[in-house]
Amino acid sequence: MAADFKTAQPVEYYRRFLKEDVRPDGRELGEIRHTTLNIGSITTAEGSALVKLGNTTVICGIKAELCNPTAEEPKKGFVVPNVDLPPLCSPRFRPGPPSEQAQVVSQLMADIIQNSGVVALEDLCIVEGKLCWVLYCDMLCLDYDGNVVDTCVISLLAALKNVLLPEVRVSEETGDPVTDMEKKLPLNIRKCPVATTFGVFDDHYLFTDPTNEEECLATGVLTIVTTEDNKICCMHKPGGTPLSESRLQDCINRALTRAEEVRKLIHETINSVER
Amino acid sequence: MSSTLGVLSDAERLFIVHGVQDDLRSDGRACEDYRHVEVETDVVSNTSGSARLRLGNTDILVGVKAEMGEPDPGRPKEGKLEFFVDCSANASPEFEGRGGEELAIEVSNALQRIFNSKSTLDLTALCIIPGGQCWVLFVDVLVLECGGNLFDAVSLAVKAALYNTRIPTVIVTADDEGQQEIELSDDPYDVKRLDVDNVPLIVTLSKIGHRHVVDASWEEELCSLARLTVGVTQKGTIAGLNKEGSGSLDPESIYEMIESGKKVGVVLNSRLKEALEKEENSKREKVGFLG
Amino acid sequence: MPGDSRRIAGPQDSRAPHWFGRQQETHQEAGGTRQDGRGDHDLRPVYLHTGVVSQATGSAYMEMGQTKVIAAVYGPREISRREEFTMKGRLCCELKFATFSCRQRRQHIQDNQERDGSLIVLQALEPAVCLDKFPKSQVDVYITVLQDDGSALAAAITCAALGLADAGVMMYDVVVGCSVRQCGEDQWLDPSVREEFRPEVESAGDHGMVTVGLLPSLNQVSALVLDGHLQQQTAVQAVKTCISGCQGIYPILKDCLVSSTRRNVPSLEQKSGQTSTDGQNGQT
Repeated sequence: MAADFKTAQPVEYYRRFLKEDVRPDGRELGEIRHTTLNIGSITTAEGSALVKLGNTTVICGIKAELCNPTAEEPKKGFVVPNVDLPPLCSPRFRPGPPSEQAQVVSQLMADIIQNSGVVALEDLCIVEGKLCWVLYCDMLCLDYDGNVVDTCVISLLAALKNVLLPEVRVSEETGDPVTDMEKKLPLNIRKCPVATTFGVFDDHYLFTDPTNEEECLATGVLTIVTTEDNKICCMHKPGGTPLSESRLQDCINRALTRAEEVRKLIHETINSVER
Repeated sequence: MSSTLGVLSDAERLFIVHGVQDDLRSDGRACEDYRHVEVETDVVSNTSGSARLRLGNTDILVGVKAEMGEPDPGRPKEGKLEFFVDCSANASPEFEGRGGEELAIEVSNALQRIFNSKSTLDLTALCIIPGGQCWVLFVDVLVLECGGNLFDAVSLAVKAALYNTRIPTVIVTADDEGQQEIELSDDPYDVKRLDVDNVPLIVTLSKIGHRHVVDASWEEELCSLARLTVGVTQKGTIAGLNKEGSGSLDPESIYEMIESGKKVGVVLNSRLKEALEKEENSKREKVGFLG
Repeated sequence: MPGDSRRIAGPQDSRAPHWFGRQQETHQEAGGTRQDGRGDHDLRPVYLHTGVVSQATGSAYMEMGQTKVIAAVYGPREISRREEFTMKGRLCCELKFATFSCRQRRQHIQDNQERDGSLIVLQALEPAVCLDKFPKSQVDVYITVLQDDGSALAAAITCAALGLADAGVMMYDVVVGCSVRQCGEDQWLDPSVREEFRPEVESAGDHGMVTVGLLPSLNQVSALVLDGHLQQQTAVQAVKTCISGCQGIYPILKDCLVSSTRRNVPSLEQKSGQTSTDGQNGQT
C-alpha cells in the first residue's frame, strides 16, 4: 500500500513524512548518513580514498606526473580535478561524454581547490619555469544515491592527504629530471575544505544530505564548503527556492559542525594507516 | 556479426550443416579445404608496398605507406606499425551506414594482436635514430567485397603487402656539433625489405554442427555460432588465438581446432611464400628485358 | 587531452615519474620462484561480493590479489537505440580502466584495449545468458577496473557474470575467467602485473598469455584469447591450466552467490554483512 502511494504521488508521500519531522529512510531532517572512509587502497595511484556516504560511493585516485609549468606562471604546478559519473553508478547516466552534471561537479571541485587553497600550487613546483608536478585527481562515482558533491570533496581531501610523491632532483650534467622512487614525501595540505549539502522542500522544509530520491523531489539545493578556520570557501546554490538570511545562517552553522566531524574522521583514519 | 543478414532458410541451414557433417560442403570442398586464392602485389604505385587479394568472393586491397615519425617513448629503438581497416559500404549490405565500423575494429584488433609480438616482425629494423626518428608503417586495409572469411583474407593480404614493401635506405650523419642529419638515398632501387618469414597468417575455424570448417563462405558463417581464429607462422607456432561469436566451445573441440588450424596454416604460409616469390621473379625478368 | 572541452584540462604534455626513475622496474624472468612466493599453479586470494551498487539491478565486486574490479548490471530495459524488432534480447558490455588503475595513467576516453576487452567480455557472457527470455530489450553490463595488478580481463569476466547472476538475469551457467602466463618452460596461473606478458619486452621461445572464460558446470569455453607465440602443445597445455584455474575459482563464486541469496532472503538465515578486507576502515 505504502509503495503504491509512493509511486502514484511521490511528492505527497514525501510531504507526509516531513510533516512528522522524519524522512522515509528513518533519518531526522538534520541527520547525515553513515560515512565510511577507506584510504590508500589503490596502490597504483600516488594517493587514493574511497568514501561511502550511505549508499553513495566515490573513489578518488590521484596520479602525479611531471610537466613544464606555463610561461605565465612559472612557479606553479597543476591540480586537475575531474569527476566521472559513469553509466555504472546509476541508470540515469548513459555512456558517452561527461554529462552536464558531471561537468558542473568537476568545475565545482576546481573552484573548491582554488578558493580553499588546499594545496598551494607553488609547492608543486620543482624547478622554476622548467619542471613541476601535475596532480590528476580523478573522482569516480561507483554508486549514485544523491549528494555526490559532499562525497567527492571528502574523497578528494582524504586522497590528497594520502599522496606520496617520489623525490625529484635535476641532474646537473644532462638537465633531465631524476626521480627516486624509493624515497617518497607527503604533500603539504594547507587547508581542509569540507562540503555540506542541504535540500529544500516546499520552500519550507530544510534537510541535510539528500538521497537520490530526495534530490529529485527537492525544490532547491544548497552546498556550503568550509575550512577548519571556520571560513566559507565556496557556496553553491544553483537556482531553486530562495532562502532567508536566518535559514542560511542556520545552514552555515550546521555545515561548520559537520565539517569538524569529517575532519576528525579523516584524521583518525589516516592515523590508523601505518606508514 | 551476420545476424541482420539472416537470409538463410531453415532448409538451407540444415543442408549446409548436414553437408559439413559428411565432409562435403555445398561448394564441393572438404572441411579443411581452402578456396582458390589470387594474389597480386605492387598494385598501387604511390605506396611503399601493396597487395590485392581475392579469396572466393572476398576482395581485399592493402596499401603500406612508410613515413618517418617519432618512436613511442617506451620503445625508443623500434619503429611502429599502424593499422587502418575500412569496410567499404559496397563490400556487404551490412556495412551500410556505420555497420562496418564494429567489424573494422575487430579486424584491426586481430591484426594488432598478432603484430604486437616482438617475434612477429623485427621492429628494430625500422629504427633510424634511437629515441628520435623511426619508420612508421601505415597499413591501410580496404575491404572491397566481403564474401566470408574476412580475417584470413586480410592477414594474407597484409603479409603479401609487407613482403612487397620497400623502405628507402637512409644514412644518418652527424655534423661537427653532434647534430644528426638524415639523408635519403638518391637511388630508388637502394631499398630495404622486411623479413616477413615470421609473420603469422590467421586461420579461422568455424564450428558448424559438431564439426569445424576452414575458410567458411558467408552462408556457412551464418550457420556457425562460434569461431576460433588461430594465428599460425610458417614454422607452425601458434601466434594468437581468439574465440569469436556468441557461442561457446567444448575444450576438446578447441584442441582439435588448434590442431587443424596449425596444419592448414603451415601449408597456407608456404603456398603464399611460393606464390609471392614466383610473382617477383617473373616481374624481375620483365625489368631485365626492358632495361 | 586535445579537443575535450567537457573535462577540466591539464597541461598539454606530462610524463609519469617512473620514466625518470634511476632503477628500472623489475620484471619477472623465467626460472626460479615467483616474486610473491606463489607456486606456479597457485591462485591469488579471491574476494567476491555482490550488491555493491545500490542503484543497479545487480552488481558485483571482485578482488584477485591487488586487482580490483567492479561490475554493475542494468536491465532488462528498453533498447536505447531504435532498432528493428528482435525476439532475442541484447547484451551490451562496456569495460573501462579507471584513470588511476595502472602504473601509467589512462585516459578518460575508451581506448583500443578497452574496446577489445569489452568485446571479449561480451562474447564470453553471451553463451551463458538466456537471451531469448527477454525479447525487445537489452541488458547493460558496465565493468570498471579500479586497479590492474594483472589478469584484469579474467577478473572482469568473472565479476560481470556474478553481476548478471545478482541481477537475476536468467543464465544457463555462470562464467569464470582465468589467465595463464607462459614464460619459456614456466607456466604461471593468475599472473600479477609484473608477470604479465608484455610483447614489447618478450621475444624468442615460448612466450605468451592465455585467458579463458569457462562455463564451469557445462564445461564449455566461452572466451579464449592468446597473445604471443606458443608451440601447439604448449598452447593446449596452457588452455588446460586455465580451465583448471577457472574450476578453482568456481566454488568461491558459488559460495558468494549462496551467501548473497541468504542475505537477500532474510527468512533463510540472518546473516551480517561482510566488509572488505583491504585497506583501513574508519567510521562515524
